[in-house]
Amino acid sequence: MIRCEHLCKVYHGVPAVDDLCLEVPEGEVFGLLGPNGAGKSTTILMLTGLIEPTSGACYIDDLEVATHPIEVKKKIGYMPEDVGFYPTLTAEENLEYSAKLYGMGKERKERIKELLALVGLEGVTKEVGGFSKGMRQRLGIAKALINHPKAIILDEPTANLDPQGVADYRRIIRHVADQGTTVLVSSHILSEVSKVCTSAGILAHGKLVAHGTWDELARIGGDEKVVIHIETRTPMPDLQSPALVAAEFAENRHRARIVATVDIRDELADTLAEAGVAIRSLEAEHPDIEDVFLSYYHTTEEAA
Amino acid sequence: MRTEGLRVIAAKEFRDHVRSRRFHILLAIFLIIAVVGLIDGSIQYNQQIEEYNENLAQVSDDEMMPSYFGWKPSILSAFFKMSMLITTVGVVLGCAMGFDLISREKESKSLKILLSHPIYRDEVINGKALGGIAAIALAMGTVLAISFAIILIFGIVPNLDESIRIMLFGGLSFLLIFSYFAIALFMSTVAKNSSNALIYTLIIFIILSTLIPSFATNESVMEIVVGEPPRFNGPSGPYAVSSSSTASSTGEVVELVDTSEIDLAWEEYREKSEAYWEKRHTFTDAVNLLSPSYNYQQMAIAVTEPRLSIALLNVGSYSSDIYEDLPESGLAILGSLMGALAKNIIALLVIPAAFFGLAWVRFMREDIR
Repeated sequence: MIRCEHLCKVYHGVPAVDDLCLEVPEGEVFGLLGPNGAGKSTTILMLTGLIEPTSGACYIDDLEVATHPIEVKKKIGYMPEDVGFYPTLTAEENLEYSAKLYGMGKERKERIKELLALVGLEGVTKEVGGFSKGMRQRLGIAKALINHPKAIILDEPTANLDPQGVADYRRIIRHVADQGTTVLVSSHILSEVSKVCTSAGILAHGKLVAHGTWDELARIGGDEKVVIHIETRTPMPDLQSPALVAAEFAENRHRARIVATVDIRDELADTLAEAGVAIRSLEAEHPDIEDVFLSYYHTTEEAA
Repeated sequence: MRTEGLRVIAAKEFRDHVRSRRFHILLAIFLIIAVVGLIDGSIQYNQQIEEYNENLAQVSDDEMMPSYFGWKPSILSAFFKMSMLITTVGVVLGCAMGFDLISREKESKSLKILLSHPIYRDEVINGKALGGIAAIALAMGTVLAISFAIILIFGIVPNLDESIRIMLFGGLSFLLIFSYFAIALFMSTVAKNSSNALIYTLIIFIILSTLIPSFATNESVMEIVVGEPPRFNGPSGPYAVSSSSTASSTGEVVELVDTSEIDLAWEEYREKSEAYWEKRHTFTDAVNLLSPSYNYQQMAIAVTEPRLSIALLNVGSYSSDIYEDLPESGLAILGSLMGALAKNIIALLVIPAAFFGLAWVRFMREDIR
């Protein structure tokens, strides 16, 4: 659904996005992660047809954005980070204007009502000028959905939301994803992305340094090692496995810390059962996802 | 469909203008001054027409000299006074409507959202201009409609000639307001925020409406550009006085000068003067063409007071027969002035077009980040 091929954007000789290749399949909720200045917003601006790439191309539903901007804009919904509306109009009037610009007919009334209810702004009659940032953000999500888009692109969608707003946002994204809409969320807040996205890409210095599902990213970022902790009621024998890297025993071999190249918990459980050792607990240590992502950033910074 | 976005944006902009407090206040001031001016003008007109009719009854047609003071009064004189108002309040209305059209979108961060819709950039700027044009047309239409109503209340029924000229006056006023609207729109695309855009617009307004006309008539500037006016160097009269001194006495000798010598000197002086004044007028006119206010005033005089316009166009002329053979109809006189005023009409059209063109190019190149 969303594809970037060797996408580059250079501002005054400095690459903001550098040879970005990315593919987001239809129906996926994809997170674009990266620190501030990584090139997330620039990538999104190119995907939404607001700026043209210096080189390379990006596609939405197999349509090249730079050459078919109008067709592409009809297929997507977009909410920028600093979402802004007309302050003298109400939420309904702002959405009405937006719907008209999408060429929607009388069905827009029903759609606006439905979306205002979805984002929790139904019955709000005051002008947008009097809205809190969170309310504007909610309205931004409604605007991004007004045209029944095939893909929605949200730039830092939770930046101004309170905890209730964040919870509502997650609910909306899940609702949208359940309907088969592709979602691309850009953020530097890892916890937010990890709660709604099925896969993610990590941008640093304009380059895509890693992408995949959460497990794939964690494994790659965690040096492809799995740490397993075992606690038994009786002493453990020596453990053998081709994937075993190291084994440390403690408390008279009642406790062990195993380092392996893959998750060998099933194999270890079988070995211990055959040896007649009763297992008290057997668990794999998941690497701290924040540490994993920081390691991506640091690796890129060191390389730069 | 390309026109759909344009229509939607223009409609929204028009609605924004007519709903804005700024527009209401300026239109109200505009209307109050216009109404007061027209009431005053209508009363004066009725008095003048009475005096004119009395004079006409006393003096036969043959004795009426074709002079400015002998012309039949016209209700258009009241509109001539209104033109002064339009060069101030109308211009402020144009500036106020345009200065934040784009900068406000940047400030409220709505520009990015707007451009994410399936519309072309030119539809945004064209739609904003169309919405503004429609609002200006509405303001001018309201002023004209109320003006017509007032003169009708005073029992003055304009004939076809006058009605057409009133409409032309409305069209010219619209062009002037649109000129400043286009200038303000351009400043709105250039400036980073609305307050800067307003300051830039006011600076341009002062330059175009005050500084340029002052510069064009400034004596020091004239001396630098066209030099000093010629002086008469010949004998001052048929007698020349010369001093004579002999060994025995000192005295003055009065000699009779040849009149052909005086005529020759006068002729030479007249030619030099004409050339000087023509050069001076050319310079003044050329500089003033840059001022929409000046061009508008010239045109407004021609439409409302065509005979006065002829008088003003012939300032410095040595011809005394400029009022002879003038047609009775103001519209016909206006037609005869078109050649002389063509440059003003063109300038009045070119200036807003140029500024709108600049605004268009600037907006199309606007960096959205």
